[in-house]
Amino acid sequence: MTLWFVFALMTVAAIFAVLWPLSRSASASAGGSEAAVYKDQLAEIERDAAAGLIGIPESAAARVEIGRRLLAADSQPELPARSNLVLRRASAVVALVGLPVAAVMFYLALGSPWLGDFPLASRARTADVNQPLENMVAQVVAHLEKNPADARGWTVLAPVLARLGRYEDAVGAYRNVITYAGDSAERRADLGEALALVAGGVVTAEAKAEFERAVAQDADEPRANYFLGLAAEQDGRQADAAAIWRILLAKAPADAPWRPLVQDALTRVGGSAAPPLSTEAMAVAKDMSDPDRKAMISGMVDRLATRLKQNGDDVEGWLRLMRAYMVMGQRDKAASALTDARQAVAADADRLRQLNEGAKSLGLDG
Amino acid sequence: MTRKQRRLTMIGGSLAVLAIAAALVLNAMRDSIVFFSTPTMAAEKQIPAGKRFRLGGLVQPGSLVKGDNLAVNFSIADGSATLPVAYKGLLPDLFREGQGVVAEGALDASGVFKADTVLAKHDETYMPKDVADALKKQGHWKDDYGAKPGAAASAAPAQGAAK
Amino acid sequence: MIAEAGHYALVLALALALIQSTVPLLGARWGDHALMNVARSTALAQLLFAAVSFGLLTLLHVVSDFSVVNVFENSHSMKPLLYKITGVWGNHEGSMLLWVSILALFGGLVAAFGNNLPLSLRAHVLAVQGWIAAAFYLFILMTSNPFLRIASPPIEGRDLNPVLQDIGLAVHPPMLYLGYVGFSISFSFAVAALIEGRIDAAWARWVRPWTLVAWIFLTLGIAMGSYWAYYELGWGGWWFWDPVENASLMPWLAGTALLHSAVVMEKRNALKVWTILLSILTFSLSLLGTFLVRSGVLTSVHAFATDPTRGVFILLILCLFIGGSLSLYAWRASALKQGGLFAPISREGALVLNNLFLTTACTTVFIGTLYPLALEVLTGDKISVGAPFFNLTFGPLFVPLMVAMPFGPLLAWKRGDLAGASQRLMAAGIAALIAIAVLWAWIRGGATFAPLAIGLGIFVVAGALTDLVERTALFRAPLTTAFARARGLPRATWGTALAHAGIGVALIGIVCETTWNSEYIGSMKQNETATVAGYQLRLDGVTQRQGPNFREMIAQFTVTLDGETLRVMTPSKRNFTTRGSSTTEAALLTRGASQIYISLGDANADGAIAVRIYHKPLVLLIWWGPVLMAFGGMLSLSDRRLRVGAPKPAKPARALQPAE
Repeated sequence: MTLWFVFALMTVAAIFAVLWPLSRSASASAGGSEAAVYKDQLAEIERDAAAGLIGIPESAAARVEIGRRLLAADSQPELPARSNLVLRRASAVVALVGLPVAAVMFYLALGSPWLGDFPLASRARTADVNQPLENMVAQVVAHLEKNPADARGWTVLAPVLARLGRYEDAVGAYRNVITYAGDSAERRADLGEALALVAGGVVTAEAKAEFERAVAQDADEPRANYFLGLAAEQDGRQADAAAIWRILLAKAPADAPWRPLVQDALTRVGGSAAPPLSTEAMAVAKDMSDPDRKAMISGMVDRLATRLKQNGDDVEGWLRLMRAYMVMGQRDKAASALTDARQAVAADADRLRQLNEGAKSLGLDG
Repeated sequence: MTRKQRRLTMIGGSLAVLAIAAALVLNAMRDSIVFFSTPTMAAEKQIPAGKRFRLGGLVQPGSLVKGDNLAVNFSIADGSATLPVAYKGLLPDLFREGQGVVAEGALDASGVFKADTVLAKHDETYMPKDVADALKKQGHWKDDYGAKPGAAASAAPAQGAAK
Repeated sequence: MIAEAGHYALVLALALALIQSTVPLLGARWGDHALMNVARSTALAQLLFAAVSFGLLTLLHVVSDFSVVNVFENSHSMKPLLYKITGVWGNHEGSMLLWVSILALFGGLVAAFGNNLPLSLRAHVLAVQGWIAAAFYLFILMTSNPFLRIASPPIEGRDLNPVLQDIGLAVHPPMLYLGYVGFSISFSFAVAALIEGRIDAAWARWVRPWTLVAWIFLTLGIAMGSYWAYYELGWGGWWFWDPVENASLMPWLAGTALLHSAVVMEKRNALKVWTILLSILTFSLSLLGTFLVRSGVLTSVHAFATDPTRGVFILLILCLFIGGSLSLYAWRASALKQGGLFAPISREGALVLNNLFLTTACTTVFIGTLYPLALEVLTGDKISVGAPFFNLTFGPLFVPLMVAMPFGPLLAWKRGDLAGASQRLMAAGIAALIAIAVLWAWIRGGATFAPLAIGLGIFVVAGALTDLVERTALFRAPLTTAFARARGLPRATWGTALAHAGIGVALIGIVCETTWNSEYIGSMKQNETATVAGYQLRLDGVTQRQGPNFREMIAQFTVTLDGETLRVMTPSKRNFTTRGSSTTEAALLTRGASQIYISLGDANADGAIAVRIYHKPLVLLIWWGPVLMAFGGMLSLSDRRLRVGAPKPAKPARALQPAE
């Protein structure tokens, strides 16, 4: 409310600035004129001459010169003051109506009047949480400088450093983790990721080598696979990238939180992924209580199933339905939906292939 | 002098100065202009040894070797070709492997680029424009290279998620 | 609420600028005083709202409100307060807001102090200011809005580019903008004169002081920027002929020419049409400078804003104002009355010569800066035009200018006596010749060019002082008389002499620094000693320190000369965690006008650290020169005659002055 009050005050001030001169009578100051300048100059010569700054003959010559210019100036006709009431009224209307309306509309298109202030002071609590983190890191670093073989210390420190954006330090810390806590696929992937972050998100040859080591130890390590795909994409091998990510998705558990990320990446390189349940619906569902959510989802699923029975051409729809069943833990229903879907699109080889691929990625193969 | 003569003197003087300036500019254009090139373009154009040019590209990761007395060797790559660079002196603050760089100097007889100036990109999100354009043209440009925040954002969730 | 109020104030400023740019014109067209007076109150109100907007953005930076995108992207809660404030204009959006705020300030000054201007002239001038302001408010609101918000504010900001966290940034851009934008006044006056179709005495009396104000700020701004680059970038270079530097040099050259031609117009009522053209060109070059920096169109170490939509928008503004004003000039210039006559050898003639060389030099810089861009657009070839080009073109054009410079003030108006002037400059010439001979004998076989250039510098300084000596009759009359005369001299005369001497001082500094600069580049271990130009620098050790938002590696050097310890120098290298980048903090040791300069490189694995050490003889003269020039400008500005507006009455008074 205060905000709108302030806006109103400012608007009134702006309008006043336009209206004030309009309200004054036309006889108000006509401003300086050319003659005034020359009169100033003449006065100055008098002063200079009186103070002895210039000689008598020079001052006389200067007076003549200025007098000549003054005459020339006076011969120019001075415009008489006129008042144009129509224009004045029009200007007043523009100021009174046009200015506030235009300003408020323009502002509303750009501004965010509903947002309050978020100065640091009101966020002091969060800042306090932040502050000791840096101190803690410093303490741990100091501790590790004395006991460099403390594997647990490095394991704790490395991800914190990465989170703080100190990627180069994180690389060193991850190397130490591997040295002192032993090699593993996940640790190699950590190191590779830190290396990529150092390079600003580019999977360098060095980072790629780490991911390859990770995959050598555990072919299913999701992060290493994701970054190997990213490396392929950055090298311009879109197809390879898509292949890597597709396999990754196929093997992934249905509830893996990184699925959307990989799916997005896959869409980016042009490969089709199994479409997820529409994110909008998911978002709505998140805010509901448990029974409500179940009711809503099963309602949606039922509607979808009915629609697909009437019109079975929609492969995306079938996949969404199967995915929904999987999420709800009804694997058998998903399998039967797949059978239905295959019958519905059997005539179209393209759609069938798309369906099979989608099913595979859902883990419904066979 | 009449008014006309005075005016002619003025115009004549102006023309003389302008002519001298034009001559200076043309002369300087011939001798002191430095072309920009990427390793690929350098290979294609067969730039002769000793001819000064600016070489731009990414510092090949793993290629940086620091020698004695501030001698530095590294390679500049643009995705399809690389060129070894030798430089003596302090590298700029923002010089990193895998990031954009512009070096000025000339090739020596053995095909090594002897740089006397190395400019790194100016801040974290800014890539030398020459380098960015050249890389884009060759299809090696990923928006990820330039926009670090974007790249970090796509990488970071993967980290959190796999834990 | 703070952010939104600032945002709304900016919108209101735009609305007022639109009214300011139309209503007064209509008033002038119909001769209505009230409508013309709208210009004044709207200009003042517009200044108020622009100032409120800028003040609130500064407040947002100070309280670290990261719900504002601009603050989030360019600030950090742990940044020192000073850099929170300077960070406001350390980024694109904030600096553009500063730009228009300064524009509004100049408009407000004309409105507040323009009582003695003819009403219709004031209305026209402020309307033109309103056009410029409206265009830039639109630009800011549409493409570079500093008040955009984030609904869920991040906890911490992204920090300001560490290179820009420096006291140099606190003063350099505002100075430069005061200069750039200050030229908008002479531009507005020029366009107003073209619209009105006449130039009167009030016009002439106003343009010179305003140009002078802008010129002083631009001179200081450029000098400060150069010094900042010198100590902050860690290379020891002070001028790179970088497009961004050229962008500020071009308006300076054109502005210097304008300053001199405005003198002719003010005193002699001549060169009117040319002065109008120069006013337009000078501000056009200022706009071009803004465009070059803000659009990121050129490869440049300074380019920190790269966004094509902004570039296109500024390009449109540029075309509109430059194209529009030049067309208006082509159309209306012939309607203006021609001014008085003068002989080629006269004060006017000398000033015309000055204009000729300055504008030609400006043109060569223009070509060197924009040719690569044009070539890239036309042929796709990428070239860089570096220092050699400018040294070969700009240098030779400045030499005759500097040779001629001491003669100008010694020539009389209208008809001058070249032989007499030469005679009076004899002493200065002899001083220069002696300097050349001594230097030649001393360095023997070194650079042959340097002694000549230094001789030229000494000639310029001595020549500038000659004028003062002549007028005060120093050495001819008793000291007391000379002192009394010196007090009686118009301050403008002192100003001219100091500004001209400043050029010579800067030239001497430039030549000494480039010719006799000695350097040491290598890696040093603890207790090793490097010798540069006779100074012994011993590395005592390297320590680490935690700063407010960075970690710092500090090296400590002890400097001795002939066994005597002078001082301890501590260059450092700072690592900024938030951006993961580092800066080099050079250490400077000043001895007279010379400096020792140390900057650090990386530490090697074996504990050795890479260092650059320079000895730069008389390097400070490079900046003392411009400071002297700006001081001369201020003296001239404070001259009573300028403010009460009585130009020195033409020929008669002036011709008799030397005999005072």
